[in-house]
Amino acid sequence: MGMADGSKDRIFAEGEKERTKREATDFHAMGLRSKDLSFLQSEKAVEDNVDDVMGDYSEEEDSESESESDQEDVKLAEPSKTAVYNREGLVEKLEDIGWPENVDWMHKLSLDIDQEKEVDVNDDLARELAFYTQALEGTRAAFDKFQSMGLPFLRPPDYYAEMVKTDAHMQKVKGKLLAQKRQIEESEERRKAREAKRIAKEVQAEKLKERAKQKKQEIEEVKKWRKQRQQSGFKDGKDSMPDLGFEDGKTFQRSSKKRPGVSPGDRSGGKAKQGGGKSNNKNKKNREFRNSKFGFGGRKGMKKQNTAETTNDVLAFNKSNAAGNKKRKR
Amino acid sequence: MGKKRKHSETQTAEPRKKDEGAPERPKRTLMGWKDKDEVSQQTESTPDSPQVFRNKEKVMVTCSRRINYRYRHLMLNMVSLLPHCKKDNKVESRSSKGATLNELIELRGCSSALFFECRKHQDLYMWMARCPNGPSVKFLVNAVHTMEELKLTGNHLKGSRPLLTFSSNFEKDAHWKLLKEMIIQIFGTPKEHRKSKPYHDHVFVFSIVDDHIWFRNYQISVPHNESDKMVRGGLDKMTLVEVGPRFCLNPIKIFAGSFGGPTLYENPFYVSPNQIRALEKRKKAGKYAKKVKAKTRRKMHEQSNPLEPDEFADMWRE
Repeated sequence: MGMADGSKDRIFAEGEKERTKREATDFHAMGLRSKDLSFLQSEKAVEDNVDDVMGDYSEEEDSESESESDQEDVKLAEPSKTAVYNREGLVEKLEDIGWPENVDWMHKLSLDIDQEKEVDVNDDLARELAFYTQALEGTRAAFDKFQSMGLPFLRPPDYYAEMVKTDAHMQKVKGKLLAQKRQIEESEERRKAREAKRIAKEVQAEKLKERAKQKKQEIEEVKKWRKQRQQSGFKDGKDSMPDLGFEDGKTFQRSSKKRPGVSPGDRSGGKAKQGGGKSNNKNKKNREFRNSKFGFGGRKGMKKQNTAETTNDVLAFNKSNAAGNKKRKR
Repeated sequence: MGKKRKHSETQTAEPRKKDEGAPERPKRTLMGWKDKDEVSQQTESTPDSPQVFRNKEKVMVTCSRRINYRYRHLMLNMVSLLPHCKKDNKVESRSSKGATLNELIELRGCSSALFFECRKHQDLYMWMARCPNGPSVKFLVNAVHTMEELKLTGNHLKGSRPLLTFSSNFEKDAHWKLLKEMIIQIFGTPKEHRKSKPYHDHVFVFSIVDDHIWFRNYQISVPHNESDKMVRGGLDKMTLVEVGPRFCLNPIKIFAGSFGGPTLYENPFYVSPNQIRALEKRKKAGKYAKKVKAKTRRKMHEQSNPLEPDEFADMWRE
């Protein structure tokens, strides 16, 4: 499986024995025959002399003992001593396989980008950012080159050809992106609704407080006026009536409050009539019926019906009112 | 047996003597059928520059038998990214791998190979080799994300030539330079390849971080206004969207021959995944042993230093 980004590689000190052992197994795995192995050993001996020039990679025949068991979590502190580094061989091979010198850049399309600072491998975001900037700079440089050569670079939007990912796959990608966006939006909306509700609640509380205060104030005023009047012995005429605010003749106008269907004495806040007009009539009749049947302790079974009082009452009724259930409490 | 291929770099035209006898059949050269005279004329007229360079690179992509699903998808992604590749059947892993693979490459007429070897259903090793006698590299592949992942949302033309960007670390050392050359040859699509598409709409990023080669593939996307070929809103609005796949290569060894040969370079910091797993297990194994040891040590210590009799020991006894 793909391991977590490189984090498992940076561990552990090693013993030399293991390295040479692994070397041998690797050669076997590559199917070299034993005579090739001996050839390799001699090659290595040759390289011993050749590699005296290298500083770091001096070679030793003796393997170190495994004394680093306590250094488990440390990255291989020093490079393994028997690492082969045949610089001349590498350069030779490079010349072997390299393309001739005057090959047009158009064949290679390779760009070298300067990496300014060291990127920490474990910091995912910084690493990806470094790769992204490298690609971006490379593209810009290439674009300039192409422009100077007058060659087409970007794909025109009407060029349709086979793409590396199928359309079905791209549909899935699009679906996923849209789902993510929707999730984000929904959570935003929910948060906003919560906030708005909270604010509305606060505002409502404020308003109620205002009203209560206003009411209290008015009552106080009336009391004061009465006391005043009492004190001055009711001798004033109607001149010193307090300005109660309903003498300006504005009472018969509609109040500017925008709740037309609600009467001022309505204590339910105008919501008693809510619930739609469709089921209103049915509910009212239903409600009345049920109230009469169960309300205030309900009917108490069969009682005398034709008593003296009831015969007298019935005669006073209208004919239309007599229709209906006699059992219904009136 | 495939016909013998000319090495792609043999461009030095040999000077041809004028033929004395009957005129030979017109020679087939890289530029088509030509009369012998024309060829010699051309070569004489341009003695300095060789004939036109044509990149005739072909890559053979195979894998070993017991490969994982994730790595198989990675291999298929590589096949779709490289139009100049030929996908081959799985190879047995226990046989003598070097010889078999070399034969296969010759048979298909390819000049390079990418071989994905999966060990223990867990570790993926990638070999990049140049066929006839070129160097080969073995990498350990980490951090694989294939193109099928839905988070990689970009898309590009199948077969368009990529731009290859390398970080400047590749010039620091000889083995990096060699790897860079091999990568250019294997991952770069030849210019007038049959299956290549005209525009350049994706970029490969090869970057060395912490002695590993990281690979990324981005789509170049520019917001379109009109429908003409050249740039519209300018370079500033160009964005890169990742297409995938993603992987990280840890070079293990470089060999002088193809799938074998003398070692030219060995990575001194490389630790094989088997050893990593073994060390982890050993760490865990030590825990219990240490606990047991600590217990016995405590017991010995208690026996050697007996406590004074406790005067309150009998207080709560009934």
